[in-house]
Amino acid sequence: MAWSRRRHMRRNLLLLIALTLLAGCATSPVPPWERGRLARWDMRWDPDPLKAAMAEHAHFSKEGTAGTIGAAGGGCGCN
Amino acid sequence: MSRPSPSLSLLFAASAALLGHKAAQADETSAAHSVGYRFNVYDEDALSAQVEEGDPRRYHVDTQQFLFDTALGNRNTLNVSAVHEVMSGSSPWYLVPGPDNKPLEVLSGATIRDHRSAMTATLTHDAGGNDTRSVSATYSAERDYHATALGVERSLPLNSALTLAFGGSFSHDLLRPTDALLYHRIERAQKNTASMFGSLSWVLSKNAVLESGLQFNYQTGYLSDPYKLVVVDSSLDADTRPDRRSEAAWLVRYRYALNADASVHADARVAANSWGQHSLTLELAWYQGLRDGWQLIPGLRYYTQDSARFYAPFFDDANERYFSSDYRLGGFGALAANLNVRKRFGRWELNAGAERYHATTDLALGGADLNPGTVSYTRIYAGLDFHFD
Repeated sequence: MAWSRRRHMRRNLLLLIALTLLAGCATSPVPPWERGRLARWDMRWDPDPLKAAMAEHAHFSKEGTAGTIGAAGGGCGCN
Repeated sequence: MSRPSPSLSLLFAASAALLGHKAAQADETSAAHSVGYRFNVYDEDALSAQVEEGDPRRYHVDTQQFLFDTALGNRNTLNVSAVHEVMSGSSPWYLVPGPDNKPLEVLSGATIRDHRSAMTATLTHDAGGNDTRSVSATYSAERDYHATALGVERSLPLNSALTLAFGGSFSHDLLRPTDALLYHRIERAQKNTASMFGSLSWVLSKNAVLESGLQFNYQTGYLSDPYKLVVVDSSLDADTRPDRRSEAAWLVRYRYALNADASVHADARVAANSWGQHSLTLELAWYQGLRDGWQLIPGLRYYTQDSARFYAPFFDDANERYFSSDYRLGGFGALAANLNVRKRFGRWELNAGAERYHATTDLALGGADLNPGTVSYTRIYAGLDFHFD
């Protein structure tokens, strides 16, 4: 029973990953000479790492489940 | 060596952008080396709940941040960041039932004074074709808390539109609470945190990119707060939580360039942990470039969480296995507004901003039970960055 459920979950996960990859392929490719805007500083995921780190630290110390994607740093006595 | 013009740098960046979004981000602010400094002042509001006892001065933290980023040859970069914090003020200790069973807050009697120093070093290697691998190490030290963490990450373009990133980290934390014998606290404890993540980023169009990622954290060890107490059947007991916690989070980030000078950032995060807490975070920011190198960045953030299974302001049944009245384990919602102003002077950039964070049970999605300890704060910061070749 548990094995069947795990197999079902694995199949769903693979389906999700496949759909995700297909979604990426479905968009028409953007040629390099049209990527000038994507290259801008303000289009980065975290344009200002110091600002992001301090905001995240403040939220992490006040909230039960705060965090972000990426390799986590060490904890602190604040939470 | 003369610095390439912004338009030429953008052309180089666009030329380098044959693979994925990350490759496209060798933008006009890229330089071989950069240093940055910020000074932050964090100030908590007075508690909304009635304070029964303790020092009413709330937490105040002055933080200095340093960043050094440098290229090591053609393929490696080293990023070193350091933080020094000085904390003072009192902290919520426990709750007692007042008239009509309304909770009254008891704050720590003496003003806490402590400082924290932390450093992170990250080495990134570009293996070619924008396949990058990073290793990072962090050390954080306080009088009563030491943490050591190691992390690895890899970013791999799958095709011209998709970039896969994945990695993991491990943190070992050591607690040595102060005044342990005086207050019958645990004298020494440790906890370990293992994390894994994976994400995919898409170039959706010449104006838009999207990232979707999953993060898993698993903690073991002493996860209670050694400084907090809880009223159980009319007597005081130590905050007692399970010694394991697993958490999963799904994060989606979207960046859209509105025109040559403005972009919108939209982030969403859904998380759940094995203590019964669920949360939702929504963030929105507007990056507006103005004349003469000025930039204005207003933003909004909404956060909501429900309570852990073993949270209550106080407990009647002493037979419960776990109990905590830490407000961070209770249900609440928080709304934050922030504003950042930046000004470039050639290779220098001046940076200042503020955040106002307001937390209350009224803002919790679907409502929340009584949580009198929620904290609201104001944070202001200013700093300077310098980029050089």
